[in-house]
Amino acid sequence: MAEGKLITPDLNFVKKIVNSGGESLKKCYQCATCSVVCNVTPDDKPFPRKEMIHAQWGLKDKLFANPDIWLCHQCSDCTAFCPRGAKPGEVLGAIRKLSIEHYSFPSFLGRMVGDPKFLIFLLALPVVLFGIVAPYVAQLIPLQYLEGSTRPGNLLEAMSSSERIVYAERLMPVPIIDTIFGLAALFAVFGFFMGITRYWKDLSAVNGKPKGSILNAITATIAEFLAHKKFKKCDVTVDRSKSHLFVFYGFVGLAITTTWAIFYLYGLQRPSPYPLYDPMKILGNASAIGLLLGISWVISNRMKNAPKAGIGSYYDWLFISVVLTIVVTGILSELLRLLGVAILAYPVYFIHLVAIFFLFAYAPFSKMAHMVYRTTALVFAKSTGRDKEIA
Amino acid sequence: MEKKLGVYICGGCSIGEGLDLDKLSLIATKEYKIPICKTHPALCGEEGVGTIKKDMEAEGVNTVVVAACSGRVKYDVFDFGAANIVERVNIREQVVWSHDWTKQVKVKTKDADGKEVVKEETQRNDDTQMLAEDYLRMGIVKAQKMNQVDPYLLENVEKSILVIGGGITGLTAAIEAANTGYPVTIVEREAQLGGYAAKQRKQIPTKAPYMQSESTNIQDKIKAVTGHSKITVRTNTEIARISGAPGQFAVSFKPAGTKSKWDIAPKKKEEEAKDKPAEAAEKPAEEQVELPADMVKCEDILTSDPDAEVFGSVIVAAGGRPADPSQFEHLGFGKFANVITNTMLEEAAAKGKIVRPSDGKAAKTIAFIQSPGLNGDDSDFPYASSVTSMISLKQANYLTEDYSDGKAYIFYKHMRTPGHYENFYKSAQNNPGIFLSRGEVKSVTENGDKSLTVEVDNTILGENVAVNVDMVVLAAGMTPETQFEPVINLAYRQGPAFRDLELFNGYADSNYICFPYETRRTGIYTAGNVRQTMTNGECIEDATGAALKAIQCLESVNRGMSVHPRSGDMSFPEFFFQRCTQCKRCTEECPFGALDDDEKGTPKPNPTRCRRCGTCMGACPERIISFKNYHIDMIGSMVKAINVPDEDEEKYRIVAFVCENDAYPALDMAGLHKLKYSADIRFIPVRCLGSVNTIWIADAMSKGNDGVLLIGCKYGDDYQCHFVKGSELCNKRMDNVAETLGKLRLEPVRVQQIQFSIDEYEKIPEAIGKFVEVIEGVGFNPMKGF
Repeated sequence: MAEGKLITPDLNFVKKIVNSGGESLKKCYQCATCSVVCNVTPDDKPFPRKEMIHAQWGLKDKLFANPDIWLCHQCSDCTAFCPRGAKPGEVLGAIRKLSIEHYSFPSFLGRMVGDPKFLIFLLALPVVLFGIVAPYVAQLIPLQYLEGSTRPGNLLEAMSSSERIVYAERLMPVPIIDTIFGLAALFAVFGFFMGITRYWKDLSAVNGKPKGSILNAITATIAEFLAHKKFKKCDVTVDRSKSHLFVFYGFVGLAITTTWAIFYLYGLQRPSPYPLYDPMKILGNASAIGLLLGISWVISNRMKNAPKAGIGSYYDWLFISVVLTIVVTGILSELLRLLGVAILAYPVYFIHLVAIFFLFAYAPFSKMAHMVYRTTALVFAKSTGRDKEIA
Repeated sequence: MEKKLGVYICGGCSIGEGLDLDKLSLIATKEYKIPICKTHPALCGEEGVGTIKKDMEAEGVNTVVVAACSGRVKYDVFDFGAANIVERVNIREQVVWSHDWTKQVKVKTKDADGKEVVKEETQRNDDTQMLAEDYLRMGIVKAQKMNQVDPYLLENVEKSILVIGGGITGLTAAIEAANTGYPVTIVEREAQLGGYAAKQRKQIPTKAPYMQSESTNIQDKIKAVTGHSKITVRTNTEIARISGAPGQFAVSFKPAGTKSKWDIAPKKKEEEAKDKPAEAAEKPAEEQVELPADMVKCEDILTSDPDAEVFGSVIVAAGGRPADPSQFEHLGFGKFANVITNTMLEEAAAKGKIVRPSDGKAAKTIAFIQSPGLNGDDSDFPYASSVTSMISLKQANYLTEDYSDGKAYIFYKHMRTPGHYENFYKSAQNNPGIFLSRGEVKSVTENGDKSLTVEVDNTILGENVAVNVDMVVLAAGMTPETQFEPVINLAYRQGPAFRDLELFNGYADSNYICFPYETRRTGIYTAGNVRQTMTNGECIEDATGAALKAIQCLESVNRGMSVHPRSGDMSFPEFFFQRCTQCKRCTEECPFGALDDDEKGTPKPNPTRCRRCGTCMGACPERIISFKNYHIDMIGSMVKAINVPDEDEEKYRIVAFVCENDAYPALDMAGLHKLKYSADIRFIPVRCLGSVNTIWIADAMSKGNDGVLLIGCKYGDDYQCHFVKGSELCNKRMDNVAETLGKLRLEPVRVQQIQFSIDEYEKIPEAIGKFVEVIEGVGFNPMKGF
């Protein structure tokens, strides 16, 4: 009889939450103010009160297989109104991080991305790849096959000369970039696939198989995302939904731009750089500016809300920093190239590549993964009726 | 002392407006023929007081009747030294502030044309004037009947203090008292000092920020005691008996665990039955108990032990014993080796890392159970309190200190961490290794490896759960030592122990908020766990308070003064033994056991045990007990001084005996708030309703008064009586009065007792009004005029 009820609190899990930005977790005394002020929780078995006690008791299986942790958009209304300073919003953020880590494949990368100790190794990989391996590989590839590459590899010369800056010629030939990023993307997709498969299995095992149409749930979820419908219900940090929307559409724009560029390069066989009036270029630049504004707004919102909502964790800030680095170095790369400041342009572009690699390769392990897990959780929640509102 | 009265009437605070003072003066000058009677517009001023002082010097006035405000205010202004008697007549709060000064009267006059017209006219209110006049009469009579108080002084007041118990409370009390210069003896049953505190790893925090447990420092305290020149320590010692009274307690010691002829003989069943309430007494008295073979024949309580040591006052810091939770079978205590109590864990934790009793292996997971649970029962363990909640928090911290991967589950129905201790709770809660949940423990079962499975229902996790643990710790309470043994072993006729222990789960009877440390045995004060379950910090604070009370008692006895609640009162009861019929009522009814009767039943007064409530005076059917300034004749004469109008005057008269402790102040408060009530009622303050002798009621009724009201404190198990039993005894006596009234063909409703507390002053007019209605309903006293 006792077997079915037996629980085994995981002390390490509690400590992990505490170390992952949920250091206020243990302050919760279960008054449920959080669940009352939350605008996005279902009325039945509302979050985040129950998540707080499950977290305090280290019941990770209950938490990971619970789609509610992703229904939370960290509005931080709960955190602002918590009478005990337990910051449920931050705690749920930490749980989500640990959830991503839990389902990650390979799992060691999951642990590394979440821990500042390993940042240096994670950065080392793309730096080594691009800084040493790539040029080396570049020497090995018969460059004469690459159109337009007359003097490949002479980066130092190029940096000190006043000739036209062409990153693909002097720093990183396009095929190499594409090979590396292609592989990185494949790796990420594979990682996501593995993670999501496990996640879906857990969700179904604990909550029962979805009943409704998955397709309808997916459509509804995407519709919700496009409008940031849930996110807008936040009170305390309502601006975050707007800044997030900018970042979201910035990414969408850049994703379209990338696809478009691939079409130019491999479909039309047109080498970069492309003129500024090219529609693809216009979309790319606009998206980049949108992303820059968005991410700056994200940062300023976080600073502004910190007293009420908490400053956020390392995990959050790592992701924000990567996005900020990508967009700033991306814009700078273009500007410096146009201005012909070779001495700065090449290093900045190098950083840009490293940052993009970081974003791509580590996507299933970083906060980037939230888009996939949240989507999955919402699709699941809608198809099981947990997220009734839109389903 | 030849008394010379002077009557002084104040006209201030509206008294002069509400009353005709010249007419009032006639009471003193004409009725009572007192030559010195003066009025002054503000008697409490320098000039007014000067007038009185001048008369004292020039005219030899030594008994002053001040008709002004309540005696509860300006007592310092009207204090003319111990050599002079002052009687205060309250014509402010109880007359002009609580009654109308004027009334509308319809007067028939003739107008200019000679026609008769009825006109409304405002006249001075006679009823209010009559009220003031009666109060002045009573005041004058009282002053005349009052005698100079001559304090009872012991030849030798022993200034040493006995502390029973050498735990943290006893040690602290001893150090505190000794540091102020009083010699102290600590008596401890065990071989070592320190009590439970010496068996603790750490104590619940005693100082800000109240976050972490701290060292008990008990060894420092023991060192301070053993090295103190004013403290004597007697270990392995118990008390055979304490006889005598405050200032002269004779204490017979004996080696712990032995019998002595100075032990107090257990009461015979017959006697015990006699002490019990009526229904118990009706049971047939059983034969005398067979004394065990090893029982030493005990000396009578009045025999004095020549070897006894003398002490002035006693502090009882006997602590308690951990309760045995084996009655809760589903928890497995006594059945499973790894189910222990908090006290057992504490003692083990003080010795080293926490291990399983079954095999000595590390106990890394412990379930702390706060309440027995089962079947939706909401109660905690017997004698559990906020302290047991905090002990669990403290011990849960031990576990995480001992093992970084230790997990402590605390299952509670109530988690009590009052006041600053909330910080202690918060810090424990913040410990990742401590898992807290409300819940009802359903069962504890043992597994093959001696580990335990605890099933808990209705947890805050939202479900019924079970956890596997190495050990279960039950938050058993601490039972006061007085539950098991008398401890004090008093050679008192009322018995060796504190009274009514069964009413308070074995704790000594005392109002622990209003009058902490007090007991129903004067000069004997309780502190620490014997009084209430306490943390070490609370014990220390309590010990300090009790030490002060013990010292205060010595110094009061030394001056012939009473202790709480009539602190400073120098009067005491005197017995006119020639007329004593040995009915033993005084001995039996004294709430404080002040009287020990001999074989014949003649009471032996112990004035320093007395609290001066006058319950004995109220009880005595022969009326042989009196105080110099409070006696049967005095109050009786006051009752008789009331001017009862003839029946044709259509005015009722009611005498009210009013408890000085709550009811009288409530009347003052009613006056202060200008609440109006009937002017037919006359208040006579009494020390306690317990002191009301039925003869006064007879006096009142035979003089033609229409009713008697007794206003006192709440009685019963949750009594508010300052003398514990006074209002209850009065109520019992009223049953007899009702019977007597019936015999006299008087309606029993004419005499009633009502319970009043000081904060109910706003209900005074309603309560009085109700009684007046009752009297009006039964009509005038038929004995009026006889």
